[in-house]
Amino acid sequence: MSLIEYDAIVIGAGVAGLTAGTLLAEKGKKVAVVTAGEPTACLSTGCIDFCSNMDNPEEAIAALPAHHPFHLVTKTQIHEAFYDFKRRMAGAGLSYTGDTNRNRHVLSAIGTFKTTCLTPETMQASPQNEQENIHIITFAGLKDFYPGYIISRLKNASFSTYDAGISTTMGLASLFEDENFLETFLLWMEKQNIRENKIAFPAVLGLESASAVKKTIEHRLERPVFEIPTIPPSMPGRRLFNCLKDGFRRAGGVIYWDWQATGAEKSGRLIEAVITGSHGRPNSLNAKAFILAAGSFVGGGLRAGHSNIVENIFDLPVFTPGKREEWFEQDYFSVNHRIGRAGIIVDESFRPVEGPWDNLYACGAILAHVEALKNGCGHGFALATGRAAAESLLEAGR
Amino acid sequence: MIKTDVIIIGGGATGCGIARDLALRGIPHCLIEKGDYAAGATGACHGLLHSGGRYVISDPVSARECFDENMILRRIGEKCVENTGGLFVRLPGDSKIYRERFLRSCAEIGIPTEVISSSRALELVPSLNPEIEEAIRVPDCSIDPFRLCMLNMKTSELKGGLSFTRHRVIDILKSHGRCTGVKAIDTGTGEVKEIYGNIIVNATGAWADRIAQLAGGEVPLTLSKGSLVITNHRLTNMVINRLRPASDGDIIVPNEAVCLAGTTSLAVEDPDKIAILPVEVDTIIGEAGRMIPHFNHTRIIRAFSGVRPLLKSQKLDSRESSRGFQIIDHQNGMYSIVGGKLTTFRLMAEKMVDAIMNAFSLKKECETAQKPLDGQEELSGYPLSKRLADMKNIVCECELVTRQDVEKIIEQTKTRHVGDISHRTRLGMGPCQGGFCTFRALGIMHDLEILSPGQSVGSLRDFLQRRFRGIRHALWGDQLREEQFVEYIYLGILALGKRSEPH
Repeated sequence: MSLIEYDAIVIGAGVAGLTAGTLLAEKGKKVAVVTAGEPTACLSTGCIDFCSNMDNPEEAIAALPAHHPFHLVTKTQIHEAFYDFKRRMAGAGLSYTGDTNRNRHVLSAIGTFKTTCLTPETMQASPQNEQENIHIITFAGLKDFYPGYIISRLKNASFSTYDAGISTTMGLASLFEDENFLETFLLWMEKQNIRENKIAFPAVLGLESASAVKKTIEHRLERPVFEIPTIPPSMPGRRLFNCLKDGFRRAGGVIYWDWQATGAEKSGRLIEAVITGSHGRPNSLNAKAFILAAGSFVGGGLRAGHSNIVENIFDLPVFTPGKREEWFEQDYFSVNHRIGRAGIIVDESFRPVEGPWDNLYACGAILAHVEALKNGCGHGFALATGRAAAESLLEAGR
Repeated sequence: MIKTDVIIIGGGATGCGIARDLALRGIPHCLIEKGDYAAGATGACHGLLHSGGRYVISDPVSARECFDENMILRRIGEKCVENTGGLFVRLPGDSKIYRERFLRSCAEIGIPTEVISSSRALELVPSLNPEIEEAIRVPDCSIDPFRLCMLNMKTSELKGGLSFTRHRVIDILKSHGRCTGVKAIDTGTGEVKEIYGNIIVNATGAWADRIAQLAGGEVPLTLSKGSLVITNHRLTNMVINRLRPASDGDIIVPNEAVCLAGTTSLAVEDPDKIAILPVEVDTIIGEAGRMIPHFNHTRIIRAFSGVRPLLKSQKLDSRESSRGFQIIDHQNGMYSIVGGKLTTFRLMAEKMVDAIMNAFSLKKECETAQKPLDGQEELSGYPLSKRLADMKNIVCECELVTRQDVEKIIEQTKTRHVGDISHRTRLGMGPCQGGFCTFRALGIMHDLEILSPGQSVGSLRDFLQRRFRGIRHALWGDQLREEQFVEYIYLGILALGKRSEPH
């Protein structure tokens, strides 16, 4: 038993967990987020996908199968989640662009187009078709970006290479935070006589101040600049996470960093505490209510055994899509792999069904039937369900 | 038009061994392979250089051949053979009678053995099941089959031999009933080459009957599929065999940073249509886990199958079939060489080339057993210090392969296939199975202008599809987690899915 009792403890510091936590903290609740470490959001493109399998996200959500957990969120809640996120991000200097009724395209690092709903300011100018006229800047020795992929698909694209002496995206991003480096780089850029209408960069324009760096380059070269998301580690993903994390702390929330939740203390129909392994000794954190936002397999919320799938913290029943040999299709690209349906089934108040717990909620990628890749339900789904779970928790407390 | 003396079809260990032997005896030759070297059964086995112990009771002749070849290969190929030593372990319940027969047969044939106590065995291999009754030490080794083929081809190359990988033989050219050459299609460009020669050697393993049929002959084979699994690290430094008649999952071989365990044995009809069954994977893990208990909890990074081309036999279990080899003279200028095993590839090549020399009425003794394999001086043997010296340029973090290594292979081979780079550098063979480095390797091909516009995304798709065939059988635990992550990278971040095109 811990000395402090929180009103709510959120397990997981991803988009769903931090969204839920921030909302609760702003309503005056004493909230802690417990996380094993950096969330998978740090690996993401930073783009917010609500539902990307159609041109119109609202229609796409409405067309999802009946058992999809997006249907547990009301249209109003989705709108609130959307505008609230935009407002918060703009306030924190990380503006996002997009509409609830129209998906956008973001040019990928292999020259394909990713469909998403909200894009960070640094990707706002990303081309919407293959005809656009772009000039790509890359960096000598950079391991995770090869303009040749893009050139092979976009006819009106060319590239130049700058030697910054660093081969990683994160190393370059930290260089862009240095004014002297930026100035030297801009002088080089000006000598390149770039003729194309837009200038593209791998997403390395700063760790935190990318929007400002982008504006500086645009100002000097007098044309739109945009970032292309790279494979992990991804700077736009980290920027998103840092922004959400700072927002949560500003609202009064506490983060237990590097505290992996390993189990729970239970009594009757209530969860009393989560047990965390931290710094070599077990610990427990008490709260009145808990929100499970630990993610799916990659995030660590779910774990597959030889023949079953388990949730290890609360030992909740997990929807398992058939036998192991049925989890994956033969075709890698099918996006219908049944494993995407695995997860926790919740009721309309986001409480796990079949679990006897009155004060436990679940949201985000750990939910069953999300099929994130197939449906393009990413961070937008996390925003909406994180918000809805928090509201449900508040409702129950009244 | 290309003219040579001997055309070898098939770039497995046998074909590559024949090329080396011909080169050393001064015979012009040309090798044609439909994939990359070691693409068939050669690259889909344990990588075990047998001591002969495995076959000592069922096939004493093969066992003796294995032992002799083991001694030769560890001498001539030190850069592709690791002298691990091996143990046959007896678990509670395993037959004592088999043990007696095993020891007696080894003594008769001349395979050195040493019976050691279970505590001594546990000192040698601490991960062994502590319940083993005893162990018998034998001179097993592990061998890198990819490297073995490359090194054999090095001699061929030095002596002016020709070779074409990614060329599929589509027809055998004939004149007055004799084979005079082959027609082969470049699977990349579609270009058809005609290659003429006096003798054609069919060293195509499981595909031997098909090639023989193109020339009007036949090769009666029994095809037996064997599946294996790879762990993400080395659980033992010695080869571990189960002391019992050959059965499923009874051999574990350490190879570089991983272990391979297998196999199974199931009859198949078509060598191009083999699928791994979940039950095979579970059986191998269960059986290997009886010898090394940690096997049950370790991460399996991939499962794969190879097809054993066995001489036709009446016996039901193909593991009981003869592992000996046979040279078939089709009396029309084509010879087929079938059966055998990786360990005896050099001997098979020697006998094949002896027959060719005889047909040409030439006399020159075989030197393949005496001369060390060419090209070994260039191989570093992977010292960590060397690999870490250039951290900045490492493109495969799992296997510590640098950009320079990749560029060198691309420049040498002009390949457009990531697999070809993997076979020569181990790129993509670690826990992520190419999740990150494939994107990079293809990117480097772009930088070197090997790929034409539009090829890259297709190559990436092909690679991921092929990769998935191997890993989908081992998806649970951390490997499933990693796979979901890689799927997110390619289908999510890079939008390589079906809905990626703009409207």
